[in-house]
Amino acid sequence: MVDTYPKVTTKSYWIPTAATGERVFWMSLEFSLNRRPEDSQPSIAEVAWSSGSADEGLLILPPIVPAKIRREAQRLLQPWPHGRYTDAYQRSGGILNVFTPQWGEQQDEVWAEMLAGWKSETFAGADARQEALLALEQQWNTTSHPFFAGLTPAQVVVGGGLQETELAEEFLQQLTRMYDGHAFESEGEALIKALMLLRGWQCQPRENGQMVLDIIIAERNELLARRARALNHECSDAKRGN
Amino acid sequence: MSKHRRGRRKPRRSSRSPARSPSSEYRQAVRKADQVLSISDIEVRSDNWQQLALDWFAPDEPGRSEMARYIAAHECQLGVAWARELLRLEVLFQAEEHLQIIAHYDRALSRYPRCAFAEMWVADQVFRHASDFWRARQMYRHVADNLPGYAKPRYEMGFMSYLLGDFRGALGWFNQAADLVADDDVELGARILYNRGLVRFYLDGNRKPAIADIREALRRKQDYPQAKEALRGLRGKVRWVPW
Repeated sequence: MVDTYPKVTTKSYWIPTAATGERVFWMSLEFSLNRRPEDSQPSIAEVAWSSGSADEGLLILPPIVPAKIRREAQRLLQPWPHGRYTDAYQRSGGILNVFTPQWGEQQDEVWAEMLAGWKSETFAGADARQEALLALEQQWNTTSHPFFAGLTPAQVVVGGGLQETELAEEFLQQLTRMYDGHAFESEGEALIKALMLLRGWQCQPRENGQMVLDIIIAERNELLARRARALNHECSDAKRGN
Repeated sequence: MSKHRRGRRKPRRSSRSPARSPSSEYRQAVRKADQVLSISDIEVRSDNWQQLALDWFAPDEPGRSEMARYIAAHECQLGVAWARELLRLEVLFQAEEHLQIIAHYDRALSRYPRCAFAEMWVADQVFRHASDFWRARQMYRHVADNLPGYAKPRYEMGFMSYLLGDFRGALGWFNQAADLVADDDVELGARILYNRGLVRFYLDGNRKPAIADIREALRRKQDYPQAKEALRGLRGKVRWVPW
């Protein structure tokens, strides 16, 4: 019986900066929300998507989980907006983005360019103008973004899955082996070294010839598909009056 | 091209604006800089401030001409006080006081017209030591726009894009930098070609153009261990990645 109790495990890594250390922690939380306890059972995120309630999903969490983590999980499980997924700026972006210094709309050159194009266009009327903006926001959501290491904002917001969890663990261990105990001239130098290692590692083909980026994108797309199925399930239930 | 650095931004209040009471480390660094200037018998006066600024901060071409152009364009806003701050900045560069260079730039020089040449070197500190990528990116972009003949800001934009995982963007910047870098700028030329080679390989796994770039990097700078290792790896049978 004891084996079924929630277990607390601790891990120790070398991380280049305090800020990235925090992001690594949030990345793990994002991963855990997509984890299915067993294949046949839904993940916390799937429960939240299909029920439309973050609280419903959080019921799965064991009582040992601290209030701070619950609050953060609740924020991550909020329904996605109809427009731009600006929450992507606040997410870790997974292992490919976890060391990228925090950025937001102010730094988003892609969105700025899209918006400038929209502003310079002439529309038949206010409705058409608004419709075009909504379409543009959708386009941003699903366009590979250079500052997200090639992921789309939707792929960032959905979080990572089991394969990415394992890949992240592999990389963080490699990073720790490489740099733990090393003295760096500055925080910036440590961060750049970590990022250089990451970019080399992500281009290392796996045994099946796939690249890390391709594996991560495929898995995140699968999670987006899961979300779509969960949302449809909610619609079906709603139609049945449940 | 030698090391250095920058100028002003619009007066503004932000988290990066000069603080009202400088930190003790900063005050200490400036005091030391003044001591160095004093030991060197440097007295900035109204009849020598331009000369001192050029001799200390931009002794070599093409930076010297660039700095002279900047001084000529903003002469009425610059002067003895500006030159003194610039010389202090130079001493901080020589002492490799990375974070104090940024502090001094923000506290003392940001009130003057923005100088792309000086900013190019301060941006390095912001990027490589303070790890403020986004501010550095904005600075490098300004430098690239204002110094169209310079390879360095384009190389740095490429390197930053590479770190962000934007290999295609990086390649574009490295291509621009490779077109502009002077043949006698051995260090920068070799770095541009080495990094462009890596990015080309990362993008599609094609070894030929990567090998050509890294060979050229080694032709320019023979003592380049990373490039030698990369070349060995790229010539091997197994797909190789430098990590």
